Amino acid sequence: MNFLTIFARNLKQGPQTEAFPLGPAFTPDRLRGRIEFKAESCEGCRICERVCPANAIRFAKTPDGMTFDCWHNTCVFCGNCEFYCPTDAIHQTNDWDLSHVNADKFDMVEHGLIPNQTCVDCGATALNTAPMVKNAKPPLSAEEYTELRARCPKCRAKYLKNRKVPA
Amino acid sequence: MGLIPDFKQIATRSPWIYRINAGSCNGCDVEMATTALIPRYDIERLGCQYCGSPKHADIVLISGPLTVRVKDAVLRMYEEIPDPKVTVAVGVCPISGGIFRESYAVLAPIDQYIPIDVNVPGCPPRPQAIIAGVAKAIAIWRERL
Repeated sequence: MNFLTIFARNLKQGPQTEAFPLGPAFTPDRLRGRIEFKAESCEGCRICERVCPANAIRFAKTPDGMTFDCWHNTCVFCGNCEFYCPTDAIHQTNDWDLSHVNADKFDMVEHGLIPNQTCVDCGATALNTAPMVKNAKPPLSAEEYTELRARCPKCRAKYLKNRKVPA
Repeated sequence: MGLIPDFKQIATRSPWIYRINAGSCNGCDVEMATTALIPRYDIERLGCQYCGSPKHADIVLISGPLTVRVKDAVLRMYEEIPDPKVTVAVGVCPISGGIFRESYAVLAPIDQYIPIDVNVPGCPPRPQAIIAGVAKAIAIWRERL
C-alpha cells in the first residue's frame, strides 16, 4: 500500500519544479552572489585586492582619489574579501542573476571611489578613508569620528594620541 | 508557400541545446546537467532539450577556459553546428579566464576565437542563472531565425 501513500502525497504537494523563468526563484538569504562595495566605510587597506584568488578586485590611484573596481565576470564568489574586510565595506548580496549579452561584458563591474580630501590640520591632500578605530578605548563618539575622518593619517595618529581619556 | 511561415513558427518553439566542454573543471557541467535533467529546474518547459550531436544543435553552452590542447577540437565542433546558432558562455572561465587567467595553458577569454552571444558568470552559476541565460539566448535565436 506504500505506493498509494506516495501517490496521495504527490497529488497533495504538486510538482517539485521551481517556477523560476515564469515566476520568482527560491533564493537563500546567505547565498554568495554579486559583490557590493560601500566606498564611505572603506579603510583603504587593500586587503581584499590581496586575498582575491581571481584578481577580480583592483584599486587604482587617480587624481580624484582611489578607485575600486570589482569585475563580476572574474569574481568566483569565494567570499574572501568580505571575510577579511575589517570595516564591512564589501558585502556579498544574494543576487545571482548576472547573465548578460556579450555587448555588456565590460559594464559588469562594481565601481567605487574613495575621494581625496584636504586635511583640516596640516592642509595635506589625503584619502577620505574610514579611520581605523576598532581598538580605540574608550570608543569614539560621533563628533570625534567626523573630526578624525577629516584629517590625514599623520594628523589622525596625533589626534588619537592627544585625545583626552578619562582615567 | 504557406508552409514556410508555419514551419518557422513551429521551429522557434524548441531550440536544442548542445554542450561543449572547453577544458572545464566539471563544476559548470554539473550545473548544466542539473538545469536540464532534474525536474526541479526542468529547462524543457522552455522547449529546450539536450541533443547528442552538434549537427542538431541550436544553442551551444560552452564551459571552461579553452585550454590549448582542446582548442582545435572545440573549434572543429563549433564549425559543425549549423547556423543560426547562439552561443552561451557558462561560468567565469570562458568569459574572462576566472582564476586560470594569464595561465600559459589557457586561451581565455573565449570570445577571441568564438563569437559569444550571452554570458552567464558564476563559479559555477546557479541553475536558475543558467536558465535566465538560456532564456536570453532563445530571444536572440528567435530574432536570427
